[in-house]
Amino acid sequence: MKTNFLHAYKQAPWRTQLQWIGIFLLILVSIAAIAGVYLSVSERAATTGRQIQNMEQEITLLEIEINDLSSQLASIMSIKNMQARLEELDMLRLDPLQAIYLEIPGYVPKEAAVLLAPPARSESQERPVLLPEFTASLWDWLTSKLSQPQISNEVQP
Amino acid sequence: MKDQAWTRFIIVAVICSLVGSVIGIQMIRIQNIPAAAEILAQSENYRGFIETIYPERGSIYDAKGNLFAGNEAVFEVGLDLASVYQPETIAAVASSVLGLNYTEVLTSAQKTPGNGNPYYIVLDGFATKEEIAELEKINQEYEDRKVGRNETKPSLKGLIWTAQNKRSYPEGDLGSNIIGFYSFLDKTEGKGYFGVEEAYNDLLAGTPKQIFKNYDPVEIPSTEIVPPGASLILTVDRDIQAMTEGVLSEAIDWSGAEAGTILVYDPEDGSVLAMATTPRLDPNEYWKYGEIFPNPTPYNRAISKSYEPGSVFKVVTMAAALDAGAVTPETVFHDTGSIMVGGTTITNWNYGAWGDQDMTGCMQHSLNVCLSWIATQLGADQFYTYLKNFGLDRNTGIDLGGEVHFPIKVPGDNQWYEVDLATNSFGQGISLTPIQMVMAIGAIANEGKMMAPHVVKSMIIDGRQYEVNPVVVGTPIKAETATTLTSMLVTSLEEESSVALVEGYTIAGKTGTAEIPTEFGYTSSVTNTSFVGWGPAEDPKFLVYVWLEKPTISIWGSEVAAPVFSDIVKNLVVLMDIPPDNIRLRADNIMRGE
Repeated sequence: MKTNFLHAYKQAPWRTQLQWIGIFLLILVSIAAIAGVYLSVSERAATTGRQIQNMEQEITLLEIEINDLSSQLASIMSIKNMQARLEELDMLRLDPLQAIYLEIPGYVPKEAAVLLAPPARSESQERPVLLPEFTASLWDWLTSKLSQPQISNEVQP
Repeated sequence: MKDQAWTRFIIVAVICSLVGSVIGIQMIRIQNIPAAAEILAQSENYRGFIETIYPERGSIYDAKGNLFAGNEAVFEVGLDLASVYQPETIAAVASSVLGLNYTEVLTSAQKTPGNGNPYYIVLDGFATKEEIAELEKINQEYEDRKVGRNETKPSLKGLIWTAQNKRSYPEGDLGSNIIGFYSFLDKTEGKGYFGVEEAYNDLLAGTPKQIFKNYDPVEIPSTEIVPPGASLILTVDRDIQAMTEGVLSEAIDWSGAEAGTILVYDPEDGSVLAMATTPRLDPNEYWKYGEIFPNPTPYNRAISKSYEPGSVFKVVTMAAALDAGAVTPETVFHDTGSIMVGGTTITNWNYGAWGDQDMTGCMQHSLNVCLSWIATQLGADQFYTYLKNFGLDRNTGIDLGGEVHFPIKVPGDNQWYEVDLATNSFGQGISLTPIQMVMAIGAIANEGKMMAPHVVKSMIIDGRQYEVNPVVVGTPIKAETATTLTSMLVTSLEEESSVALVEGYTIAGKTGTAEIPTEFGYTSSVTNTSFVGWGPAEDPKFLVYVWLEKPTISIWGSEVAAPVFSDIVKNLVVLMDIPPDNIRLRADNIMRGE
């Protein structure tokens, strides 16, 4: 009686096989999908990594070129070269005693301070190049918000 | 039947499990045997490599931002031996384009990497852009070349070139005594020698960083930025420096002097505006150092060579005496032509007796006898205390490599004799560098405040410009003393109608003629001629110190160094935009609303 009861509710063998095949295929497809995503991300990371390397190299080359061009410019504008060019243009050096000083009432000459870089204590130093909104992760934002002291919006009379 | 299948299944499962377990155990075992650590360490070599990145050396600019020292592009051409395909082609091209020896390149290119041989060989460390352009052209031509089926395409595979920085000095030898040089031929151990390059070597060089470069592009870390070395902006003005060097060269040619030094200094803040000395070296060719500076020629006489300055030193003696109250400008000294100090007779430069002279007269006629008397009135202790207060017993601390000083003898020293008090008072028997003299006399031009001489005005570190603040070294004399002495020196120059005077400007100054000590005593026929002066006297903007060594045209400072000073000042007032006194004073009055 018991055997008959079990037989009555037992799945057909082909159904069980199909279920197993289905489960197997599901696992296989899932693994393939995960592997695909992993490969895709890895490929993109590798490509980006190579791009970073190339760009780093490009930055180095550009820096070298900038330095080189600055040196070339300085060489062209050097005292010796400028004097040679003046001579080519038949220009004569003025005797310093021939200099005439003109008085311009109220004129205050500008202080010729050479500033080749931003001064050490400037506002721009305090300000980050990128705002935190562009660099902070969701977690960073959340922790910063949670760590901030609660400020009451109530206005004191 | 069913039991048999089950048994088989169990047997297969057990075997598989056993095999799996054995493999697992073996894997764990292998990972823990001693050789594993070694293999693991070896595998690190295939993960990547450690590269030392040397930061770009900082630049050096003049006070107006003109480049004195920068970097230019050169290329390192080398062989990646593992990639070399046609050694003969590489050798032929390298010899024709880079001018290298064909056989040497061929021998290098034929080496097999590993087993004691390097993987990379440098062929030329400093190939020019033009040479690289030529190599690129040939390489492109080879790649584009169409060849027949049985022909081999020529290839430069394995020949690689990398751009690098090389120190360059666009102004050549201009200001080279201040700048120094960097030994760029030594790519890993290069360092700065002399001048700013030596004094600021660590700052200019920056900090080299070792970075692990991963072969796996996925594991490339965030970009490692190696900041360049600090850049320096000098107090030296390129135009003033060029003018000063030009005047010095002319002066040496004209006077027949062996060498010369001219310093232009701002007494208000201690800035060195120009420092011209001879000889000079083009730092782009620093390997000629030994040829240009045969031993013991100093690289920069202004800071590295001491000499007996002679009568220019009388300014310091008079400052000390006035400040201590030993004399006043009105004190009259009766000059008989000689004075006995410590058993030695001191005479004047012309062996003459000048009669009654006030202190201005003593300075105007540069009377050794008078100054010796003043020193005795002041007393040895006070005199040498003042010299110390003027910083003459030590280095000035100027920010240039190679500064020296000669110790001064003081009472109590074995070598000090009473007569030294007298001879020191007029600048003999005491050896000083021009920069020591400039710092000390700068105090007189700057109302008694002695400023530390310096050549760096500001620094650029990590993209920010930091100003260097002037430093007051001391106040050796009172402001009133400085003003009084300046007036006395203005008067003395004007009354003697010195050739140092410049029309339209009030100048305070003093000449100096010093005998040179030799192993046979002092020589009178060969001298060191000097002049120190500053102006405009009421509000000094510059102090100029001239020293010409052993001129042949004349032995007198008043005839050799004074006109050179005048030439410098005539140009300087134009370059520094200093109007003549009448215009300046009128403008000041207008500004004050008078």
